[in-house]
Amino acid sequence: MNDSSSLDSDKGKENNNKVTIYIDDVAHQVCANDNLLAGVLSEKLNLPYFCWHPSMGSVGACRQCAVTQFQDENDTRGRMVMSCMTPVTEGMRIGLKDKGSEKFREQVIGAMMTNHPHDCPVCAEGGECHLQDMTVMTGHTSRDYVGSKRTFTNQYLGEFVGHEMNRCITCYRCVRFYSDYAGGEDFGVYGSANHVYFGRQTDGELESEFSGNLVEICPTGVFTNKLFSAHYTRKWDLQSAPSICAHCSIGCNTSIGERFGSVRRVVNRFNHDINGYFLCDRGRYGIGFVNSDKRIRQSKGIKFSSKQLTNLDLAKSLVHFRGEKFIGIGSERASLEANFYLQQLVGEDKFSSGLSNNEMAMANEHQAMLHHYKAPSLSAIEQSDLVIIIGEDITQTSPRMALSVRQALRNKSIELASAMGIPSWQDAAVRTIGGEQLTPLFSLNSVSTKLDGSSKQNLILSPDKICECLSNIIQVLCAFIAGDKVVTSNVIDALKDEATVVFVKSLADALLIAKNPLVISGWSLQSAALFAQINQLMATLHSEPFIAHTQQASKANLAILPRGCNSIGLLSILDEQTLSIEQVLDKLVAEEAQSLVLLEQEMGGLSEALLQNLRENCQTLIVLDHSESPISELADIVLPVAAVSEGDGHYVNYQGLVQRYHQAHPPVLPIQDSWRWLDSLANCIFSVNKMNKDNVHHHSLKQLNESLSTQFEHWPVDQRYFNQSNNTGSSNEKGIARQTHRASGRTSQMANISVHENKTTQSQFDSFNFSMEGSVASTNDEMPFTWAPGWNSNQSINQYQTQVGGELIHRTQNLFLNFDNKRINQHNENGTNRTPQVSKENFGFIFVNQITWHQGDWQAHNIPEFSLLHKRNIISVSVQSASENEWQNGQYLKLSFNVEGEELSILATLQTVEYIPKDLAFGQIVELSTKHSNLSLSISLPDKADIAQHQQKEIIRIEQAKVSKANILTQLKINDQTIPIRLVSGGLDDV
Amino acid sequence: MSDLTKPLTQLINLDKPLSIEEYINKGGYQGASRAIKDLTPAQVLNIISDSGLKGRGGAGFPTGMKWSCVPMFTNVDGTKKDNAPEFKYLVCNADEMEPGTFKDRYLLEGVPHQLVEAMIIAAHTIEANRAYIFLRGEYHLAAKRLQKAIDEAYENNWLGKNIQGTDICLDLYVHTSAGRYICGEETALINALEGKRANPRAKPPFPQFSGLFGKPTVVNNVETLSNLPHILKNGIDWFKALSPNSDPGTKLYAACGRVKSAGVWELPMGTTIREVLYTHAGGMMDGYKLKGLLPGGASTDFLLPEHLDTPMDFDSISKAGSRLGTGGLIVLDDKNCPVAMVLNLLQFFSQESCGWCTPCRDGTPWAVEVLTRIENGQGRPEDLDTLANLCDFMWLGKTHCALAPGAVEPLKSALRYFHDDFEQHIDKGCCSYSSNQSSVHTATHQGGH
Repeated sequence: MNDSSSLDSDKGKENNNKVTIYIDDVAHQVCANDNLLAGVLSEKLNLPYFCWHPSMGSVGACRQCAVTQFQDENDTRGRMVMSCMTPVTEGMRIGLKDKGSEKFREQVIGAMMTNHPHDCPVCAEGGECHLQDMTVMTGHTSRDYVGSKRTFTNQYLGEFVGHEMNRCITCYRCVRFYSDYAGGEDFGVYGSANHVYFGRQTDGELESEFSGNLVEICPTGVFTNKLFSAHYTRKWDLQSAPSICAHCSIGCNTSIGERFGSVRRVVNRFNHDINGYFLCDRGRYGIGFVNSDKRIRQSKGIKFSSKQLTNLDLAKSLVHFRGEKFIGIGSERASLEANFYLQQLVGEDKFSSGLSNNEMAMANEHQAMLHHYKAPSLSAIEQSDLVIIIGEDITQTSPRMALSVRQALRNKSIELASAMGIPSWQDAAVRTIGGEQLTPLFSLNSVSTKLDGSSKQNLILSPDKICECLSNIIQVLCAFIAGDKVVTSNVIDALKDEATVVFVKSLADALLIAKNPLVISGWSLQSAALFAQINQLMATLHSEPFIAHTQQASKANLAILPRGCNSIGLLSILDEQTLSIEQVLDKLVAEEAQSLVLLEQEMGGLSEALLQNLRENCQTLIVLDHSESPISELADIVLPVAAVSEGDGHYVNYQGLVQRYHQAHPPVLPIQDSWRWLDSLANCIFSVNKMNKDNVHHHSLKQLNESLSTQFEHWPVDQRYFNQSNNTGSSNEKGIARQTHRASGRTSQMANISVHENKTTQSQFDSFNFSMEGSVASTNDEMPFTWAPGWNSNQSINQYQTQVGGELIHRTQNLFLNFDNKRINQHNENGTNRTPQVSKENFGFIFVNQITWHQGDWQAHNIPEFSLLHKRNIISVSVQSASENEWQNGQYLKLSFNVEGEELSILATLQTVEYIPKDLAFGQIVELSTKHSNLSLSISLPDKADIAQHQQKEIIRIEQAKVSKANILTQLKINDQTIPIRLVSGGLDDV
Repeated sequence: MSDLTKPLTQLINLDKPLSIEEYINKGGYQGASRAIKDLTPAQVLNIISDSGLKGRGGAGFPTGMKWSCVPMFTNVDGTKKDNAPEFKYLVCNADEMEPGTFKDRYLLEGVPHQLVEAMIIAAHTIEANRAYIFLRGEYHLAAKRLQKAIDEAYENNWLGKNIQGTDICLDLYVHTSAGRYICGEETALINALEGKRANPRAKPPFPQFSGLFGKPTVVNNVETLSNLPHILKNGIDWFKALSPNSDPGTKLYAACGRVKSAGVWELPMGTTIREVLYTHAGGMMDGYKLKGLLPGGASTDFLLPEHLDTPMDFDSISKAGSRLGTGGLIVLDDKNCPVAMVLNLLQFFSQESCGWCTPCRDGTPWAVEVLTRIENGQGRPEDLDTLANLCDFMWLGKTHCALAPGAVEPLKSALRYFHDDFEQHIDKGCCSYSSNQSSVHTATHQGGH
């Protein structure tokens, strides 16, 4: 069950290759391959720096990390070296506290201060500012410079990142991250001397999916989180909790900060194996959904007698439905326990995954792949020497993985540099030596992606042709291993398309010599056939003849990316009895069941008509969710569910890694965790209540986990893990403080309501306190926030890692779920496919939905800032198709889709693309969901009325987003005045 | 032995430089011919190492030693090794931007074929198959003349494939710079040539291993290279005999400032400052006395009249407390304010700072700020301490390249030798030199967009 991270390699940081160096005449053991700065910091000594970064290496620009290097014990003079650029050598002697380097380091700050404005009181960075920390660290207190400071004009960089160039200390971190590390193209460095400027060529939104990291990587307040600034609080006032991003299946670790009852921001929570130091913008800004005006904050359909809903009210209302046959539909975004609990309450034969028949077939293939092949972590992915991406635009669906793939592409440069004796942390030299040589990337997709430019071979085909192509590759590989040259060339000759021939040959050659290859795919093409082919490919790559033939160091890795933050968790509890959506409808129609419970399920794949159909055939519709959806509007009972920042639970990421998210703040009643609602439903509705005979409401997640594991044999998690995760270390029964020890205003924040000091919120028995009291986080790897004496900024994470950039000191063992390769939805083979046959004759194109990062996650796509990012619908077809039909680049086209037997008509702007098949079209269509891909499409010309209507709709959509954004902000500020404080915890009756 | 005493300038014709035929008639391309037809790269390298030729771009690094670090990829039998890179590069640093330096221009405009021939020799020695002349963009005439010489060389099979019937191939390009002093630094030059921002690179790795586009590269100055044809043609003994008491060979010395006739002269290495200043530049203009001088361009320390008998070679000038640099004297007379001169120099350096490292980027404008106030009579006593601290702050080892230390050299030596002038400015609250009564205006940097 527990995996010892055999796939995680960490570039020799954790190995035992150490040397002895003398720092101020004291011996220290540091890693042999590293630079001196990293060595000193890993020894937890205070040496200031700016431009060096553990993930980006050294460039020697700021000169802040200077130390004195001595020849031997007798050398008293020494010479100044920049520690970030100096490799450690056995026996080297350096001075940290000698007068020369101390003075120089102070002078560097002094030089930066000649232009740095006195903005601290009004700067968002204050209190977590690396420049502040380093200034204090060098002891620079008095300014000698009496001249004027240079100033700049700032730019509008979009809704997320603020720009205040006057504060810049020219450390170059921003452009190095944005361009070099993340491959962004629209941000750069301009100018020279002391008026170097970091920005875009013209004002405009930053195009990279990682632009938000500028906020954390900038050591001063040049780049700040605009949304955080709009509703601002100081870092020391934030109440935080360790959480998991809920917006894709990567499971990046986050830290959610809250104040006065509203979520303020998300920052990166360091996890060496997964996200490292960086998040994508969806994870950073998607949290806005928690504050959205589309949140469900009140129950519907429950009568309550007093001012607030109580468990008794709930019992009285729900008991009417006792005896009805309920089907429960789980979801890819509800927690593991909520999904499982629902499944057990309704019974495995009445539980639906919320997936269509097609998707269940995909799930079947997926779990088989999870059984056979362990998915590598992102840090392991960065070690790959060959990357093959098939049918998934990871730059948009799971951007954080694309960022890791970009680092893997640098392995070629690192290898070349290493052969010349240049270590990987000498960033500029490695890039120079590598030039344009990249680790080979093969991209076989149905859309064009941002990684295309970096690929060795890039082929765009329609989904079914992708399957064919894979089949050809497998044939070529098998033939080659068998030494059968004739078959090999026959297969290749049979390929009609020149481009495909080149791709297949090139990929086969690459696979035969790669030592650490990686295959990536995902759910976006909605193709079970694709998964079957990938399964085959992997079987070939893992077969004995192949391994023997190629002498690979390690077998090919596979990562399959599903859509949701807990898709894999859901997958782990599916079995042959699980129902598909079509089967649910059938059962309702056949009256084998009457009613539905929807668990955080917006039914995004169903058209309006089908939703109505569902509603009509359903006697009682109970919806548990946190945000409004078309189905929640139709429900009889709506129970408001806690969002990720307000609740507790476990998500399982694409690897099968189980991760816990913690409440940053308790929700305002009646909002509560969905599993708490299920407790009520269990007690009131379900006669099948195996576990809760005493009608108990579980007071904590821990208690629920214990119940689930003792009562049900199919609970997929090892109970020993939970003891570990809730254990905060040897003497930490006190719990860990969510607030910093400098949190202010505690006794005065309710003063406008009542002058009495309010009782602190009690915690939910989960080892974190809603106060500043408790243990310091340093003894646990789930840290609500990072801080250390002298290190107020996010650089304080250095103090909690064994080596800078390496594992956390107190990391706990990863827990991976086991996948037994059981059949999912076995009886579906005879099930009806609800999609009636619509004639494909009129449809000339195969349409693939090009999911953008801001539209790809249902929970977040509606937040105003993300809605504003979608400028227009776009449809891309080949240059050839366009010219044949006499369509012009940039004109409007009318798209007719065949979606589940219905024809959908949408307008989009045309973009012509080279090198795609004539019958393939891909597009960014805001009206379609991630479940809509691989559709039939026909294209015609819209008339003036169509265009006018469409443009009007768009204007309204944009306007609404802007109004919504303003309203939300206003409401949040009003809410600040009426802070909800829960006095005790547990259930609804605890007012 | 040849009796040629001024090899570098002998064939210079500023009005109409020699065509290739004329150049060959006067003995041109014989050095290159000997190198590529009669000698292996290793043999040429030995000759140049033994000759003792030192770099003329300002650093004075032995040329043979620089070349010897280049990894070679030819087997004993003349075939290429398997791991040979596709390109190896020779770059001529013709980005002459050091204030007070105009010697390379003289050579480029006057006898362009000499450089082309030199580059063939150098390329052969390091196995380079591609060469660039990185030329200061303002040298329009030189660009035209060089390109014409290169075209003639191609036409006459001195460039391109199979030069003069050998296996040697060399392509030579003129690349005019978009303009920046820092491009004179060899690694910044390489970055500029690649189309990147002209920030210098950290060393190691050295350009010989990872230079232009990550390939083995050597960067040499125009004057350094121009010696090669003559050494190859006339031999090491002749070369050393040109200056028996000093570094071998001749040097182009120059003088500017209030001297009677500013100019460039080719003289034996080790000629004294006195001889250059009085014999060739004609001494100070009437009414002016020598107060001090920078011996080798703006980024060298001041020397005083007491140093006039110092031979102008690398060691001697270094012992006197300065640097030979480019060998171009910038003369300070007694009627011009030293503070103003130093301010002018620091304005230049702060403007030319590439902006990469903190001491240079933020230190040079700070020095400008202080010097401006002093020059305008708004100096304070603590300003001299500030300037001294800045000199220490921007010194060698603390910065990413040598620009800031170069800026510090005139400043610190002026603070030492002309301390009284600085103090007077501060005490009196004005500049006492008659030619400088009006207040100095500094360009305020409104940066960004």
